[in-house]
Amino acid sequence: MRILRPTTPAGAAIHKKPRFRLTPYLFVLPYLTIFVVFRLAPSIAGLGVSFTNWAAVGTPRWIGLKNYQAMVRDPRLHDAVRNTFVFTLITVPLLVGLGLALAIFLNQRHRGRGVGRVAIFTPYVIMSTVVGVLWTWMLDKDFGLINVYLGHNIPWLVSQKYALYAIVITTVWWTVGYNMVLYLAGLQDVPAELYEAARIDGANSWRLFRHITLPLLAPTTFLVLMLTLINSFQIFDLVFVMTSGGPGTSTLTLVQYVYTTAFQFRKFGYGSAVAVLLFAILVVLAIIQTRVYRRGLKGAAE
Amino acid sequence: MTIGKVVGGALWYALLIVVVVLALGPVVWMVSTSLKPEVQIMTTEIHWIPQTFTLENFQAVLARHNILRWTFNSLLVASVATLLVLILDSLAGYALARMEFYGRDSLFILILSMLFVPLQITVVPLFLLFSKMGLTDTYWALILPVGANVTGVFLMRQFFLTIPGELEDAARVDGANDFQIWWRVVMPLAKPALTAVTIITFLSTWNSFFWPLIVTRTDAVRTLPVGVAQFMSLRPGMAQAAQAFGQSMAGATMAALPPIIFFLLLQRYFIEGISMTGMKG
Repeated sequence: MRILRPTTPAGAAIHKKPRFRLTPYLFVLPYLTIFVVFRLAPSIAGLGVSFTNWAAVGTPRWIGLKNYQAMVRDPRLHDAVRNTFVFTLITVPLLVGLGLALAIFLNQRHRGRGVGRVAIFTPYVIMSTVVGVLWTWMLDKDFGLINVYLGHNIPWLVSQKYALYAIVITTVWWTVGYNMVLYLAGLQDVPAELYEAARIDGANSWRLFRHITLPLLAPTTFLVLMLTLINSFQIFDLVFVMTSGGPGTSTLTLVQYVYTTAFQFRKFGYGSAVAVLLFAILVVLAIIQTRVYRRGLKGAAE
Repeated sequence: MTIGKVVGGALWYALLIVVVVLALGPVVWMVSTSLKPEVQIMTTEIHWIPQTFTLENFQAVLARHNILRWTFNSLLVASVATLLVLILDSLAGYALARMEFYGRDSLFILILSMLFVPLQITVVPLFLLFSKMGLTDTYWALILPVGANVTGVFLMRQFFLTIPGELEDAARVDGANDFQIWWRVVMPLAKPALTAVTIITFLSTWNSFFWPLIVTRTDAVRTLPVGVAQFMSLRPGMAQAAQAFGQSMAGATMAALPPIIFFLLLQRYFIEGISMTGMKG
């Protein structure tokens, strides 16, 4: 926890002399080579490809903004954007809220809380595609455990109305433990004396939570929200396994669309343009979130 | 007061049981289904413990699919990639934290900025790059891109910032050069950070799906998540779905249980590792 709070400012310790030294570059070089070749250059190239009509056949040609113009008139893309947003809007509050609630619940001083923590985190270590296969069975219309216990034959995965919710349920079950762990780490930094002082002043549990826990967890919430948002917008694995975007386009998401466009229909240019759109959405969200957070901090300070 | 406490405690335990059942129930159901004969699977009668136990689902999966090979591939790729990341990131992280050189801070910002660039932008160029080199469907294509990870460099740098400079100074007085200081003085102190990076990298590579799905074609290098997705998934409405849930669950069980057991044994390190990424912000 303390690890990221530097006791010395960056690089202050030893090498104060401004003469040129080769050693730092030798330390950085192996990573930097891999980073440039397999991350930085492909990112820039990906942006470039989005301005071409590159496909499996024919020679790629620079077509300027044509791919982006085509996106405006592409109903499947619009469905993908809408589904991705709807999925995110439902999943993120659930994952953040439940993550916090579970962390507070399992931070109470009772025997057995360790068992609870381990149990809730366990689904997260199962690989995504296995989770998808498991929940295809859990949500089977006729014999799935969920429907049998509910006593209804809800067509979770075969109806346009329910399919996206099936993905939401599976995602929450699979990843809520991760957010819980982050919040539990955050809770360790809330000093117990604060609670005692407030309790002596006669504050009840809700006010303790509202005025002590929640504000002190703000940095954790910022991080959890950011990570959950980024991951939700990139939902793919479960969709691929459980519905492949169907029925119809009811679970088609942005990344699923990038995959089918670029790697099934081999429209590299257009697929990359959709990926750039995803990137743009993520950047805008990050900026908004950071602004709101800063304003919140300012508001708290005043 | 004490009665309130007792009631509160009972309520807490009741809730704990609900939460644990919701979290682990599906996993237990998966294992239970995998051990049942088909006739006992497609029914609305619920038996958490199979009425008759059978291994026929496991035998069928092992006979039809190269699931052991996929597991081996995943283990190999995740292990080698993790080793690569540990070496690259601890070297780079050390220089970024403790040395002064031209362009250091801009370089660090450039690396961090890649956190926001989704993988999907890079996959088309990456795929074409590996195609040009004739390296699609090889371990190289699965391992090398992992080496370009950002989180590990960040975590290592942040850790190295916390090490007191006197240790390095003392070693320098004794005549050690930079590489010796890194290897003999600093690295032994970095075990918590190295553990965190190991857990995070291994878990994310082991689970990685999008890129392996694109770049693998044959069982020789196909990883476990890809194999499971391509051969175990049963789209509802498909004819064979009705008779294959037992086998799907057997495959899922084989893929899920090793990491679960691994996690239960090493849970402390998992939790600490994840908590440390939490400090990214």
